[in-house]
Amino acid sequence: MNRHDVNKSPGARLGMRLRRDWPLLLMTAPAALLLLVFHYVPTLGNVIAFQDYNPFEGDNPLEAFVFSEWIGLGNFETLFYDRAFWEAVQNTLSITLFQLVFFFPLPVGLAILLHSVGSSRLRAFVQGVIYLPHFFSWVLVITFFVQMFGGAGLLAQQLRHHGVEPWNIMANPETFILLVTSEAVWKDVGWGTIVFLAALSSIDPTLYEAAAADGAGRWRRLWHITLPALRPVVVLLLILRLGDALNVGFEQYILQREAVGRQAAEVLDTFVFYQAIIPQQWGLGAAAGLFKGVVGLVLIVSANKIAHFIGEQGVYQKT
Amino acid sequence: MTKSAIRRRRFLALMGAGTAAAAFASPVGCGMRRRNQGSAANARDVAAVIPKYMPIELLAPDIPGEGLIPNGYLHYPTHLVDAITDKPGRSGRVITTMSPAWGPNPPGPSRNAYLTAVNRELGVPINPSVQDGNTYADKLSAVLGARDVPHLLCVPSWDIDKIPRFSQAVKALFEDLTEYLRGDAIEAYPMLATLPTLAWQYAVWSGRLAAVPYPNSGPFPWALFYRKDLTDRAGVAAPKTIDELYDFGKRMTDPSKGVWAFGNVFNMVQMFFKCPGTKGGWRKKAGGGLEFKFETVEFRQAVEFTARLFHEEMVHPDVVASKGADAKQLFCAGKMIAWEDGVGAWRGMQSEQSKVTRGFDMHPVPVFSAVGGTPSVWGGGEPLFYTFVKKGLGKERTEEVLRVLNWCAAPFGSKEYELCLYGVEGKHFTRAADGSPAPTDLFSQELAAPPQYSILGGRAAVEVATADVPSYVKDLLAYTRATLPYLEPDLFRGIKVELPPNYSKTIGTSEDKVNDVLRGRRPVSDLDAIVREWRNTGGDEGRAFLEKILADNGR
Repeated sequence: MNRHDVNKSPGARLGMRLRRDWPLLLMTAPAALLLLVFHYVPTLGNVIAFQDYNPFEGDNPLEAFVFSEWIGLGNFETLFYDRAFWEAVQNTLSITLFQLVFFFPLPVGLAILLHSVGSSRLRAFVQGVIYLPHFFSWVLVITFFVQMFGGAGLLAQQLRHHGVEPWNIMANPETFILLVTSEAVWKDVGWGTIVFLAALSSIDPTLYEAAAADGAGRWRRLWHITLPALRPVVVLLLILRLGDALNVGFEQYILQREAVGRQAAEVLDTFVFYQAIIPQQWGLGAAAGLFKGVVGLVLIVSANKIAHFIGEQGVYQKT
Repeated sequence: MTKSAIRRRRFLALMGAGTAAAAFASPVGCGMRRRNQGSAANARDVAAVIPKYMPIELLAPDIPGEGLIPNGYLHYPTHLVDAITDKPGRSGRVITTMSPAWGPNPPGPSRNAYLTAVNRELGVPINPSVQDGNTYADKLSAVLGARDVPHLLCVPSWDIDKIPRFSQAVKALFEDLTEYLRGDAIEAYPMLATLPTLAWQYAVWSGRLAAVPYPNSGPFPWALFYRKDLTDRAGVAAPKTIDELYDFGKRMTDPSKGVWAFGNVFNMVQMFFKCPGTKGGWRKKAGGGLEFKFETVEFRQAVEFTARLFHEEMVHPDVVASKGADAKQLFCAGKMIAWEDGVGAWRGMQSEQSKVTRGFDMHPVPVFSAVGGTPSVWGGGEPLFYTFVKKGLGKERTEEVLRVLNWCAAPFGSKEYELCLYGVEGKHFTRAADGSPAPTDLFSQELAAPPQYSILGGRAAVEVATADVPSYVKDLLAYTRATLPYLEPDLFRGIKVELPPNYSKTIGTSEDKVNDVLRGRRPVSDLDAIVREWRNTGGDEGRAFLEKILADNGR
């Protein structure tokens, strides 16, 4: 905007910007509309976290909102005194932490390995193979695991044929966290490499050449060039993952809940499903959802602050 | 101040809500959310709103039924009656429906000859939504909560007690059918008038006729089925005592062949131990008042026994690891020898499998008592399903929808009955030598189990022998007759009970916990804690509620 524009009235300035930017606005309109209709409008529904929401009050859904009884923080109180809720939170956080340590680094390593494969045809083939499971639904992934490792599965039957009593893989609450992590790794480790591969390909090859010319070996190059180049992406994904700490998925757990029981497989999302949606405790469900959202927000903001503190860009920056 | 009040304050302070919010929120703990307390209508009020009973017997039964036993027919009629001459549909507007099915989903209207044929006969297009019966309650909860119901909604009776505020949902979402069907008004729908009075009595909510019932063809919710062909080959007889049931499990389980004796059997084991089953498990206590099955010695014994079956690995691992959706397939494939299912599963499975597996022969294990005396069996006259009509369709449209249900209710011996249950001759079935329909592969693909239109609205129950299941009717009626004397008396007979929401809520969570015990994830000694939690979270409320109903009715 030049100085000439500043002298015009605000209305005229807006009109001018509209004339100038309308193609851009038009292009973002569908996305904005989508966000509005499917994110911002439903957000208003959070009021039921403070209601004993009864969908059958009044003559239509809107009246149900209006006529449902206001109970202040009653739902939160019920929620926070419910031992099952804290067990679900604990399960969720344990799984998040466990996967942060044992799953999160794997795509980084795999991306570096893939990046070092010389033959582009071989690399494309390997990528194809490891991306594929991402497109399977959880139902399929778990069926596959049950057929392979279940009590009547391939492995168990092979072991029985050789006179070995098979051990319990799919229905053991104690090792459930290992199981879900393995399933997640099998399904998504390949997919997770995409972002890192993009970051790797943006590294200037002359850096490697210069380092090699200075006598840096393979490990030194990895340590001084590759990993620093990946750092912003790793930090970014880490922050996003932290914001999602209370989201570990839903189908994977609901499908295996029967096998290992509530104590092991109840995460926040399944808690909401079984304790709020099925028994029609909508207010309670909304309260749990709100709790999740607030915790996520706090985590993202603080992780971002920490990232700035250690000199990274993070997810966003104040200008 | 009590300890919990202090904790409440602290939590609010932690939340940053401060003392003002504490003052605002404190009444909440004192039960502001207890308003809907459940209700019951006595037998006389119910009688005032139900339709007149006008049976139509197109054919004389070979084995006449009585009470809860349906009429039996050993021969398929050679001549079928055209029971409904007018086309039920006149508007030409689509009618949406939702109903459960157990098994693969059938193709939709444009690719389904069964739907096309019936819709042509109805004169109005029906667009069905068929949902998995095993998780139907979950789907129902969402549909009701969103107030987004189809024109016709089929609700299994066993799912209703699990849905809190169901009677409020009925009032808000479904048409009051009283004026359409009460007393003589039913004459406009002669086929619906053939449904038995007992079934209609259950279709009353808040004193109004709210649904069309689907009468059950027998009084028992469960039977323990076993593969007689496989046990005969192994030289193992059907168990007659609980020890024999255990031995049966030991002898029929062979993991190296991928065969396990049992699927889910817990309901049947509870019956063998004579746990009460009325309204989910209530009986009168010796000293007065009611007690729930959780609180009885028999239940503990049943849990111990079943947990032993799980612990000693007599239950198929796939059943342990899932909600049992594949149980039917495991049973058909001979990977699982015995499991409990609705009696209604018998016919379809026997018919379909006898084409696939030579000698396939499934039978129910005759009931026995594990604790002495005569056996005790759960059951009663409650309909299997209810069909609700969406509210606010207007008089003409409601009448049209009711005429569709009237068509579905056409009794055995009519052309409508055959089309509804078997589809189109030459496509979905061929005629066997005795003239009875023999289902084809297209039948299993397109009709769903049970057939989509047959579940939409019920008809007077009959049992008909067909060539695909030659001995079925005799076997079934023999089992029913042998088992009926042991039917547990229903304390609430004739009273329409709508359970309080808190009690409904606690059913699912308690079952979850008992499941943990059965599968050995919690010790049997945890039962005491589970019962305590159940009592505090709605169990005692349910008890007080049901005791009051009995007192009010002088029982």
